[in-house]
Amino acid sequence: MDIDEAVRDLVRSRAPLARAQTELADDLRLGPGGLGMDSIALVELLLDCEQRFGFRPGSWRPGELLEGPPLTVGRLAAHVRAVTGS
Amino acid sequence: MAGALGSIRNRLSRRWPDPQEIRTLFPALPRSEAARTAWRIAALEARNRLLVECIRREVLPLVEAPEAFATLRPPLLLGTFHVGAIHALGPALEKLPGPVLALRQGRLYAAEPPVEVVSTEGDEQSRAAVFLRALAHLQAGGFVVTALDVVPGDGLTAPCLGRTLELARGPFALARLAGVPIVPLTARWQQGRVKVALDEALTSSGETELAAAAARWLESYLLESPGELGLGLLRSLLSSRPDPR
Repeated sequence: MDIDEAVRDLVRSRAPLARAQTELADDLRLGPGGLGMDSIALVELLLDCEQRFGFRPGSWRPGELLEGPPLTVGRLAAHVRAVTGS
Repeated sequence: MAGALGSIRNRLSRRWPDPQEIRTLFPALPRSEAARTAWRIAALEARNRLLVECIRREVLPLVEAPEAFATLRPPLLLGTFHVGAIHALGPALEKLPGPVLALRQGRLYAAEPPVEVVSTEGDEQSRAAVFLRALAHLQAGGFVVTALDVVPGDGLTAPCLGRTLELARGPFALARLAGVPIVPLTARWQQGRVKVALDEALTSSGETELAAAAARWLESYLLESPGELGLGLLRSLLSSRPDPR
């Protein structure tokens, strides 16, 4: 399974609104105005990514993802790809 | 002085709070004791308003931290409720034996290291960033201090004083993810000073069970000291639905 699809599977497992959608567009927001994930669900999703992909210590900085513009499916997948070097 | 004025205002107006409201939450109190509790709550409210104004002007109250602070071993989550002199807790946190991250809605004052105050105001993503930071702080062996009864998002509910207490989900999720207990932390006025106290740690693997334990702890604290109930928390309890049990 490629990174994009694995990230989308993790999103579906944490966001009930994502489960009914066959396609999760890159620009779909994870939080309000998109999948409506609350702060705790967002953090749990980032922890899921950490556990699923086993990043090298220090390479995964989820705080930076949250401090930027609204987090989208595509931004999360791109960040995971960048960190894993895929 | 502020406390005396608050108490007098309550005696004259019999409002904020009304003794009958006190008896809704504490039905075992005789009428005369309910009236005295209403005076105490009104006095507490007036004193706390003045306290917040003083802290904003960087005039900090005399705060007595418990000796038990020195025996605490982080990582640990210290949970507060809006009872007593909650706003005066800041100076006491400096006496904790480790780095402290205090979460609150809005900033009241600039803390000195090892205490850092972070605001939980903002959208879900901003709150997620604060939550993640608090989790990392606990995982690095620090203390996190947060109120349990301020609900910025979807909360948890638990029975308390015959009503349904709404609790913030964040602290309980934080305790679960970090695998740490919640230690109740209180502050109460005592002869012009603020005395801070700790209680036994609350532990449970589930958020709902931990929230229920926190609500039981609060109920027990308030049954012993009903005059420590903050006006905001009192209103929140009164406006909640009665506990069906």
